[in-house]
Amino acid sequence: MGAYVIRRLLWLPVILVIVSFSTFALARYGPGDPVSVAAGQVRDPVVLAQIRADRGFDLPITTQYYRWLTKAVRGDFGESFIQRGYSVSELLFPRMWISAQLGFVALLIVFAVGIPLGLLAARLAGTWLDPAIIGTLLFLQAVPVLVVIPPLVWLFAVQLHWLPAGGWGGIFSIWWIADVIAIPIPDPHLYIPLVAFTLPGFVGVARLVRVTALEVNTEDYVRTARAKGLAESTVQFRHVLPNSLLPLVTVVGFALSGIIEGALFVETLLGINGIGRFTFQAVTSRDYDVILASTVIFSAVFVLCNLAAELAYGWVDPRIRVGASHS
Amino acid sequence: MGKQNRVLVLLLGVLAVLVLVVGGLSAFLIIGGKNKPGSGSAANTTAGGGGGDAVKASSGVLRLAGTDPVTLDPHLASDSTSAEYVAEVYSGLVTLSPKLELQLDLAKSVDVSSDGKTYTFVLRDNAFFHSGRKVTADDVKWSLERASSRDLKSQTAPAYLNDIVGFAERFGGKSDTLSGVQVVNPSTIKITIDSPKPYFLAKLSYPTSFVLDKDQVTKDPKNWTRKPNGTGPYKLTEWTLGERIVLDANDKFYNGVPKLKQAVYLLAGGSALTRFENNELDVSGISIQDIDRARDSSSALSKQYSVWPQFSISYLAFNVKVPPFDDVHVRRALGYAMDRKRITQVTFKSMLLPATGIMMPGLPGYQEGDKTLPFDLAKAKDELSQAKYGTGPGKTPMPPIQMTEVGGGAEARVDTQAYLDQWKGIGLNVEIRQADFATFLADQDAGKLQAFNAGWIMDYPDPEDILDLKFHTGSNLNNNNYSNPAVDKLLDQARTESDTAKRLDLYRQAEKLILADAPWLPLYFEANHQVVNPAVKGWFDPPMVVPRLRFIEVTR
Repeated sequence: MGAYVIRRLLWLPVILVIVSFSTFALARYGPGDPVSVAAGQVRDPVVLAQIRADRGFDLPITTQYYRWLTKAVRGDFGESFIQRGYSVSELLFPRMWISAQLGFVALLIVFAVGIPLGLLAARLAGTWLDPAIIGTLLFLQAVPVLVVIPPLVWLFAVQLHWLPAGGWGGIFSIWWIADVIAIPIPDPHLYIPLVAFTLPGFVGVARLVRVTALEVNTEDYVRTARAKGLAESTVQFRHVLPNSLLPLVTVVGFALSGIIEGALFVETLLGINGIGRFTFQAVTSRDYDVILASTVIFSAVFVLCNLAAELAYGWVDPRIRVGASHS
Repeated sequence: MGKQNRVLVLLLGVLAVLVLVVGGLSAFLIIGGKNKPGSGSAANTTAGGGGGDAVKASSGVLRLAGTDPVTLDPHLASDSTSAEYVAEVYSGLVTLSPKLELQLDLAKSVDVSSDGKTYTFVLRDNAFFHSGRKVTADDVKWSLERASSRDLKSQTAPAYLNDIVGFAERFGGKSDTLSGVQVVNPSTIKITIDSPKPYFLAKLSYPTSFVLDKDQVTKDPKNWTRKPNGTGPYKLTEWTLGERIVLDANDKFYNGVPKLKQAVYLLAGGSALTRFENNELDVSGISIQDIDRARDSSSALSKQYSVWPQFSISYLAFNVKVPPFDDVHVRRALGYAMDRKRITQVTFKSMLLPATGIMMPGLPGYQEGDKTLPFDLAKAKDELSQAKYGTGPGKTPMPPIQMTEVGGGAEARVDTQAYLDQWKGIGLNVEIRQADFATFLADQDAGKLQAFNAGWIMDYPDPEDILDLKFHTGSNLNNNNYSNPAVDKLLDQARTESDTAKRLDLYRQAEKLILADAPWLPLYFEANHQVVNPAVKGWFDPPMVVPRLRFIEVTR
C-alpha cells in the first residue's frame, strides 16, 4: 500500500509536466498576447516589442517553458500582466480560498440534504413519492444557474431588501450581544450563491444513495437483521445507511477537487471574487502565467483528491485492496 | 473494526476537518471584527485633530462600483479604469478642471519663453506629498526622467513626453537624464521642448507626467503602488484586490480640504443597478435593458437619471491599402448607405448619438452640424458606379469584404447586422468576423484587418489627440494606412500654430478632408447613462477622466 501511494505520487510530476506544457503551448500559439491587451489605446510598437523581449516571448517555446518550469518548481509562478506588480500566487490563493469556503459549505449542504432524500426515496420505492422526489431534484438540476440567480436577487434583494445583491463577506458575520459576546451567524451574502450552488447538486447524491440503498435493502444481512426482529430504524441506521454511503466516498473525492475551481456563473453574476471568475478573465486577457498556474494547481489537486478517494475507499471497504494487483 | 464504523469514522473525520476550518475562520473573523470598530474610531480622531485651520472639514462617504486598476503607477497606466484612481491620488504640474480647462496644479505659475519652446514652472509653497514631505523641483525632474526611462518601458511616455528635448536619448537608453528638464532652484523647474507646441501643456496634464515620491519608489520599486505616497486630493487607504478600494480625503491638499471625506469603490458584487436599487451603491450605470425604466417619468429611477456625453467615438475603419478599400468610392458608398440615425434610435434606443464628425461636441475645434456622409442611397449607388471594383466593362470584380469586430458570440452586434442589410441594399456583401479582444488587437497591430469596428477615447481635450494621432501618415497609431499629404500638411501646421483660433480652424479643415476620404466612417459618440442617489450633491461625469471627487458632496 505504501509502495502504491509512492508509485502514484511519482506520477504526479509527470502528469503536471504534460498538463503544463500543453497549456503553455496552447496559450503561446493562440492568437494575441497579454502585452497587447495590457497596452491600452496608446500603443507604441517599439515598446511592445521590448516588453515581449523582456518576458522572453521571442525565444523558442521550449526555452520559454524551461524557464517557467525552473521557476515554478521553486514556487514562483510568475507575475500577472493584467494586474501589474502582483505575483500570480498573491492573486490566485486568496480567490481560491473564497471559492473553497463557498464550495465547502455547499458540499456540506448537498450531502446533508441529498443523503436523507436518497434514503427516503429508497424507502418509498414503489410508491409515487419516490419518482416525485427524484423528479423534483432532476428538475432542479436541469435549471441553469444563470436562470436561478436573477429571480432570487430580484426577490430577496431588490424587492424585499433582505439580502445583499451580490458580493462576499466570508462565511460568518459577527453578531455582537451588547458589544461583549460575539456570535458568528451565516453571512447574508452567502444565501443566494449557496442556493444557486446546491440546488443542482442534490440529485447526484440522492440518486446514488437511493440506488445503493435499494441494493443494500435486498442483501442477506439486512434480511437477517429484520428477521432478528430489529426495529426498522435500527436496520436503516445500523445496516443500510453505512453501506449505502460507500460509493459517496468517490463522489466526495471528485467534489473536493471541484470546489477549489470555483463556479464561473455564480461568481460572475453575484460578483464574488472567486477563482472561477478570475481564471476566466485571465483567459480572455491572455494572462499567461495566471492561466498556467491555475491549470497546474487544479490538476495537482484533482490528482491528489482522486488518490485520497481511492485510498479511503480501500480503507473503508476491506474487500477492495488498493494496489493489490501490483503487490 | 467493522466497515460500517470505518465509514462513520471517515465521515466524522471529514466533518472534524470542516469544523476546524470553519471554527478557525470564525475565530479569525471575530478577532478581525473586534479590531474594526477600534481602528475606525482612531481614524476619526486623527481626522478631527488634523483639520487645523481648514475652513471646512470633509464629510460623507461615496459608494461607487469599480474594478481593480491594471496599475496605480501613473507613468504606466494607460487605461481609463486605472486613470480614474490615479487622477485622485497623484497630481502633476498642470491639471484639467471639471470643465476641462487647463489649470495649474502643483505649479503656481508657468512662464513660456517667446520662442514657445521653454516652459518655466514655479511650484506651490504648499504642495506636499501625503507623507507631509514638500514637493521639490527635484521630485518633478526625477519623475519625468523615470517616466521616460528605457527601463520602465512606459507605453504612454512616447506619446506624452516625446516633445521634451532629450526624450529620444533617454527612452532609447542612451542617456541617464532627460536633458530638456532642468532644475533652476528647489521650487523652479524648466522644461524645454523641441519646437513650439501649443498642446504641450495639455499633454502634461496626463498621468505620465505626474509627480512621484522618489524615496518611496526607489526604496520599494516593486510594491510602492500598493500604498502610494502621492500629492493628489485623496490618499489610497485600502486596496483589497477584487474587493474594495478606499480613498480618503487628503486634509493637507494644496487646493483646500476636499469636500468628500471618503470614496469607497466596491470591486466585487453583481449588477450595479441592482445594488444601487438595494442602496448598496450611490451611482450606477444604466444599460440598454433598463433604459426604458429610467426614462419612464413615473418610475423612481427617472428622478435620479442623468446622461453624460463622453469624449469617445466609435467608428468603422478601412485598411486603405487593401482592395477594395484602396478605392475611396467603395468607402464612401458604404458610408452613404448607412442610416445611423435610425439605427441609433432602434437598436440603441438613442443611448448613443450618431457621430457628426470625428471631433466630439465640447472638444475645442468642434463645429456644429453633421459633417459625415449623410444617408443617401442614390449617392451610395453613384459612388459604387464610379468605383473600379464591381461588375461591368473595365471593372475588377469586387473582392470579398470582411469586417472584424470584437465579440465572442455566434452573431454580429445588432447595429452591425442592420448595416449589413443596408449595404446589401446597394449590392455589397460584407461578411462579419468576430474575434475576442486579444485576437483583435494582435490582428490590428499586425495590419491584418481589412476593415474593423473600433473606438477612440480622448486622452486630453485637444483635436491633436485624435486627428494627428490617428490620421497623420507618420503616426504609430494610424493603423489603417491612411495617408493624405494635404491632411499631413494641415496637421503639421496645426502642431506649431500658436494662435488658437487659427489652429482649431486648421484641425477643422483636416477633419473635413479626412471625412471626405472616408478612411473612417464615424459611427457614434458615446454617453454615460447613470442614476445617482439624491444624497450625492454635485455629481458629474466629465467627458474624460479628471480629478473630481473633491467637488462632490454626500449628505447622509
